[in-house]
Amino acid sequence: MNRDSLRAFLLLAPALLTLGVLFLGSLVPALLQSFGYFPAAGLGEPTLRFYREIIAGPEFVPSLLFSLRVSFVSSALAVFLGTILALLLDETGKGERIEALLSSIPIIVPHTVAALLVLNLLSRTGILARVLFSLGWIASPAEMTALVFDRRGTGIIAAYLWKGTPFVAVVVYVVLRNIDGRLRETALILGASRMQALRHVALPLLMPTLSSTFVLLFGFSFGAFEAPFLLGPTFPRALPTAAYSAYLNPDIASRPYSMALIAIITAIAVALVYLYSFLSARKEERI
Amino acid sequence: MNRFKEIGGRVIPGILLLSLLLLSPVQPLSANEWESVLNSSRGTRVTFYGWGGDPRVNSWLDTFVALRLKERYGLSLERVGMDIGEILNKLLSEKTAGKSDGVIDVVWINGENFFAARQNGLLFGPFTGSLPNFRDFVDAEAGDVAFDFGFPTEGFEAPYGKAQLVFFRDAARLERPIGGHADLLKAAKLHPGEITYPAPPDFTGSAFVRTIICDIVGREKIASLPADKDVLRVAVAPAMEFLSEIKPYLWMNGESYPASGSQIKNMFEDGEILLGMSYTPFLAPGKVKTGEFPESTESFVFEKGTLGNTHFLAIPFNASNKNGAMVLINALLDPEAQASKYDPAVWGDLPVLDPARLPPERNALFESIVVGKGSIPLRTLLEKRVPELPATFIPILDEIWRETVLR
Amino acid sequence: MKRGCSLASATLFLFLLALLLPAAVLAVWSFTLRWPWPGLLPRAFSTDQWSAFFSLSGGAFEIVGRSALLAGGVTVLSLLISLPAAKALALLSFPGKRIVEMLVLAPVLVPPISYAPGMHALFLRIGIADSFTGVLLSHLVPCLPYGIRILTNVFRALGETLEIQARVLGASPFRAFFHITLPLIAPGIASAGGLLFIVSLSQYLLTFFLGGGKIVTLSLALFPLVKSGERPAAAVWSIVFILVSLSFCLVLEKGVKRYSSSTETFFLS
Repeated sequence: MNRDSLRAFLLLAPALLTLGVLFLGSLVPALLQSFGYFPAAGLGEPTLRFYREIIAGPEFVPSLLFSLRVSFVSSALAVFLGTILALLLDETGKGERIEALLSSIPIIVPHTVAALLVLNLLSRTGILARVLFSLGWIASPAEMTALVFDRRGTGIIAAYLWKGTPFVAVVVYVVLRNIDGRLRETALILGASRMQALRHVALPLLMPTLSSTFVLLFGFSFGAFEAPFLLGPTFPRALPTAAYSAYLNPDIASRPYSMALIAIITAIAVALVYLYSFLSARKEERI
Repeated sequence: MNRFKEIGGRVIPGILLLSLLLLSPVQPLSANEWESVLNSSRGTRVTFYGWGGDPRVNSWLDTFVALRLKERYGLSLERVGMDIGEILNKLLSEKTAGKSDGVIDVVWINGENFFAARQNGLLFGPFTGSLPNFRDFVDAEAGDVAFDFGFPTEGFEAPYGKAQLVFFRDAARLERPIGGHADLLKAAKLHPGEITYPAPPDFTGSAFVRTIICDIVGREKIASLPADKDVLRVAVAPAMEFLSEIKPYLWMNGESYPASGSQIKNMFEDGEILLGMSYTPFLAPGKVKTGEFPESTESFVFEKGTLGNTHFLAIPFNASNKNGAMVLINALLDPEAQASKYDPAVWGDLPVLDPARLPPERNALFESIVVGKGSIPLRTLLEKRVPELPATFIPILDEIWRETVLR
Repeated sequence: MKRGCSLASATLFLFLLALLLPAAVLAVWSFTLRWPWPGLLPRAFSTDQWSAFFSLSGGAFEIVGRSALLAGGVTVLSLLISLPAAKALALLSFPGKRIVEMLVLAPVLVPPISYAPGMHALFLRIGIADSFTGVLLSHLVPCLPYGIRILTNVFRALGETLEIQARVLGASPFRAFFHITLPLIAPGIASAGGLLFIVSLSQYLLTFFLGGGKIVTLSLALFPLVKSGERPAAAVWSIVFILVSLSFCLVLEKGVKRYSSSTETFFLS
């Protein structure tokens, strides 16, 4: 090991130790349990039956599709709207101050509060419904379209959008400022219109940031517990909600079922870690 | 025997506890022994874990009970609100990991959860025979004390209060009275999207489903069946058909159900739904008084009755302060405490004490409680009280509901 | 470049409104006694929820204090662990760097539901379940990735040259760090610290699992209220949450500004 490697190892030791013990050390037993290795409950034989029963069960596929869908839609929309917001900030030149404001409120607000806000605004007796009532568009809460607790997960998507859009806007704005200046000026001098400068210069340079941010939002929302638990439908349950519910089973020998669900969530998350890492590396190459 | 070995290994609160436990549960503690329990627990803290979804119940425990414990017994009370499913899960994990000094001293529990706790050896006991107030004021042989959802309590849990499923409606908008499931269906058709019930396994929602089952199929037919999913599925099929029939007229077209009774209460308050239900019989009158529910709210039960049960207090196997736990539970069985929580302005939970065993002046405490406008007279409640189904049925019925009605 | 396009300004305004209006509704709910359908404003106001919050029997101050202490402790510990790690990742190359980077990133995408049960079992065996220490340690997992990430960018931007120069001129590693590097990375530490505080304060599942209900933080008090729909009480706790976060970030920023202006730095980026 050369000197640099030794130095690196020493500097990284606290972090690696912490994450190794607390993070990996917590995942491994769960994984083992999911394969049926749970001596404390009298289970010693490795088996795939917990996975098989869960996956073949009537709730798994709907839950998986629900989680994937909600994460995809909310992350894609957040990236789209956030980019527009960043461009608007750039356009109007009010950037700095507003960026500070934006970056503070929704980032400070936790998911639980975001869920509360969605309930206050979008539930059948929420502010939106009351405004529609006063405009004469609906006559009672029952006539209001269900935007929360619905099977499409609209409320959950709204909560993620509220938190995700400012986040994307801030990230994109920073990158935009960095690459913007001279490149766009050059394009304009060379005769391109604003739209062309945007499409052919700025956007391609933003792509790595956009794609990695999308993966980040997707991954985070996929495994998040609070928003789907508070705003989700009774069926299908988001995967983390289903895993939690299975975990509460009073029969200890049924633990492996919830561990199997957790393992599936973890596997998908790990795949996303790889993806994000790959996309981020590409970003560094570009710049 | 395993239980005794575990308990035998503890040193604090020491020899006293050991001798307490080795005594036969039927033999009462001598005055000296209870005195020792009181003394050794003085100055300690006792932690109470139970459902925290009703702010008034929390408030009563945090103020009246905590103060009383402090003043009379020198105990400080710490209350933690947690759903029983999560409490049992915690105890189960602790038992699996061999944790012998748990943070939970008293658990608020009943029904299928008590059954599951006993199955897994999560409770300490028997202990009720050691409590003076239990011996003096509770009829230990009574069906709803000796049995919890048909499962023998055997001194492992002490009664705390009695609950009954009660409905309430906004009589100004839902004008016709509802006597049973047929009226309920009619009401739902007249007011689509404005009626719902909590999804099982929430305990209120689960009780509602069971009430419907009793209303349609009849309790006697079901109660004697074996706890087998396939047998029960066939037996309760008419009730499930009814719930599927009413489904499209419910809130959210019956595709989603509120997650808890607390949500139902808030939705009723908002005017989003016209009908609600609660295990606390005098919830609605109390809320009308504070102005949270509309004046036109009326409580009612089905003609054929609604489910009633007793809820209990138990001590986990690994409680760190078992003496303090027993003092707390004993204090909650005191007639004054029971009367205090019976007051609908406070909680409205029915007392578990046997009137025949109360001296007249203590009985007067209960008679003096005024129940309130729009509520159901106690006599009616008791007449229309249907005993619960066996504990083992509950998770099975919850699953059947989820499979047949929800999806 | 700055055309003062009114369409853009209007759209921007709408965006900001959509983002901030919900917060305003929250404030109204905290003073609500009754707000039945279909009122656009509450029918009855009351300060009951706020007085209940400030009353002593509720234990609210204890919860706020404990939450701040916990999040603060997590922040400090995370920074101590992140600083050296970030330096290594930013400035050094070594075999297995890619894997380390992914491990450090992982807890952002691998959710608490994945590791909370396993961690609870682990802590039960060590004997720190249901304890403040246990919860504090558990929060390190979601926090470290953010700390390391931000500080890595800071170190990368800073480079090593200044510190190397100081060492060449005879300063010990500690002096070089404290007098050269630290003042320059102080703003970066401040933004990392603010974020770490918020991430820790926001944790619900971890605090619930590892604290066993005994360690009550703002998130733990808030969650059941939102779940059962007790909106006035939930609104009060939400506002308190936001205020605590903002206060910390402000204090941190002020502190760093004072520190930065009090140390003399001749080379600024």
